[in-house]
Amino acid sequence: MNLDYLWHGFAVALTGQNLLVGLIGCFIGTLVGALPAIGPINGIALLLPIAYTMGLPAESTMILLSAIYCGAEYGGRISSILLNVPGDAGAVMTALDGYPMARQGRAGEALTLSGISSFVGGILGSIGLALFAPVLARLAIGFGPAEYFVLMVFAFATLGSMVGSQPVKTLIGCTLGLMLATVGLDATSGAYRFTFNQPELGDGIEFVVLVIGLFSISEALVILEHQGRGFTVIRELGRMTVRAADVARCTGTMLRSSVIGFVVGVLPGTGASVSSAIAYTTEKRLSDTEDTFGKGDVRGLAAPEAANNATACGAFVPMLTLGIPGSGTTAVMLGALMLYNIQPGPMLLTERPEIVGGLVASLFIGNFLLLLLNLPLVNIFARVLTVPNWLLVPGILVLSIVGVYSTHASVFAIFLMLGIGMAGWLLRKAGFDMAPIILGFVLGHVMEINLRNALAISGGELSILFSSAICIVLWFMAAAVAVLPTMLSWRSRRLKVARTAGMPAIDG
Amino acid sequence: MSDNARTTLLIGRISALCLIGLAVAYGVGGASIEYAFSSDPLGPRVVPVALATVLGLLCLFYLRSPGTAEAFPSGRLLWRVLAIPLLLVVCVAIFETVGFAMCIFLLTFGTGLIFGAPLGYAAAGAAGHAALWWFIFSYLLQVYLPTGTLFG
Repeated sequence: MNLDYLWHGFAVALTGQNLLVGLIGCFIGTLVGALPAIGPINGIALLLPIAYTMGLPAESTMILLSAIYCGAEYGGRISSILLNVPGDAGAVMTALDGYPMARQGRAGEALTLSGISSFVGGILGSIGLALFAPVLARLAIGFGPAEYFVLMVFAFATLGSMVGSQPVKTLIGCTLGLMLATVGLDATSGAYRFTFNQPELGDGIEFVVLVIGLFSISEALVILEHQGRGFTVIRELGRMTVRAADVARCTGTMLRSSVIGFVVGVLPGTGASVSSAIAYTTEKRLSDTEDTFGKGDVRGLAAPEAANNATACGAFVPMLTLGIPGSGTTAVMLGALMLYNIQPGPMLLTERPEIVGGLVASLFIGNFLLLLLNLPLVNIFARVLTVPNWLLVPGILVLSIVGVYSTHASVFAIFLMLGIGMAGWLLRKAGFDMAPIILGFVLGHVMEINLRNALAISGGELSILFSSAICIVLWFMAAAVAVLPTMLSWRSRRLKVARTAGMPAIDG
Repeated sequence: MSDNARTTLLIGRISALCLIGLAVAYGVGGASIEYAFSSDPLGPRVVPVALATVLGLLCLFYLRSPGTAEAFPSGRLLWRVLAIPLLLVVCVAIFETVGFAMCIFLLTFGTGLIFGAPLGYAAAGAAGHAALWWFIFSYLLQVYLPTGTLFG
């Protein structure tokens, strides 16, 4: 296996500028993760335009954003443990055993152990990414436009079946994102689509405008609605060290959960919330012989933390090798690459090894930095929880306006961002998630181009979409992931009904 | 059915109908895109029309079973929620006229008050925000931000 790109990456990531950028990213990421109001995707959305305007090279921007991403996965545990309010979706399961530990006066122990679990998950996930990315990129190198189009259909099918409890809303979100991507000048025909004679829309809706509108403006309104739901911060941290026996008890848990987290992360559309839930329930089934899970069991704390950090690394695999984001956050990072006119995909590894290698190497370095930051400075990060919303939210709004204005120097762009933010808030009220919209938007342009290129090659024959073995396998997989969950849930409902009625279950 | 369930059902149904309206408008707009020629067999119209069809079909499913939704705020909270975008619109409208620092002061002061800060705290917080962000962006990062035409 050729790991030259990784050694090249270490050379990139270990430069003074990139180490500093990584350290800043880790610090900001942990703060962002610790705040219950905002998650990694919001933090990245806010800082992306600023990094771009500062003129950072693409590899440094990716290192900054990935450090924020991983930092937020570490930071998410702080509010889960001390406040019983998860800092991000991946930290929901952490609260189940972390908060009871804090209530028992073991908050410091919980924070330290979860920091160690996050580190194990992050490092194992980074190893998986370093080994797996070149293999997948080599497989995908033979993809033509038809294969790419079907791959994206597969990604959307995976999203619909796996993200959230409302797959129809997820698919509607994706479709809205695809529709937004059609705005602007169509390069192959020269036609303007949905620009309403506004010259500012000629280049389409800018990524930064969309992502800040959806994730910052709508978030500010949600925070306002939810404020005042009285949370109590546990201030007594107690002992900050963990017993060797506890670490030994958790070793198997951390290893298993890291593997689960990485595998789930590689699948498009599944995120840390899914992986941490699977890891927690797996551990509960395997180890909870004394019914201690949910009452402050160290293994119940270690499992989700190791899993969600490994997931963050796994999500980079499809993003870097196929150009398909593994999560909402990697969708934003994919958009960041596009801001730099870099097309993600299998060729990225050979054409821009400094970006892929730099990012992977920075994850290794970042995890060490995060462990060093998170163990001694956890008291400082915990203080962030006391920042009142009336001071925090105005800062989010300022960063949103400055971010958009500094990238586009246009008041129209800020108004568009506000409109998108309001629409995002209305959609959130109706129970829609914002991440599928971003995924649809990021993939929309590439998907349309590949479909049109494939049909141009075949002279308009749709059969090209079924002509290769890769296409057929991908169509089959797309159909399977779209239909299987529905069939399984229908079957389990039938079994439940049969059991309730006291009748023998009918198989098939 | 409880009041809460009825409300969320209603929100879901209204959202589905709005999205169906959007699908129709988008589809009609897509079908009427004008172009002289295209170098590919599909042209610029097919994808928008296909997406409109997909959205319309998905929204029919959504209309049938709207799933969960969150009730809209009411009373005083609703006005506070609406005040944020209104304040943002005003601040953005005067952004280039009054300049970055003044605009940020007004925005953060207003937002602070909406979020329940006492008057003095909101003013002090806004002054701090304006000074901090001006220092970071204009001075430290040298990001171009309008200084304002009103004050020369």
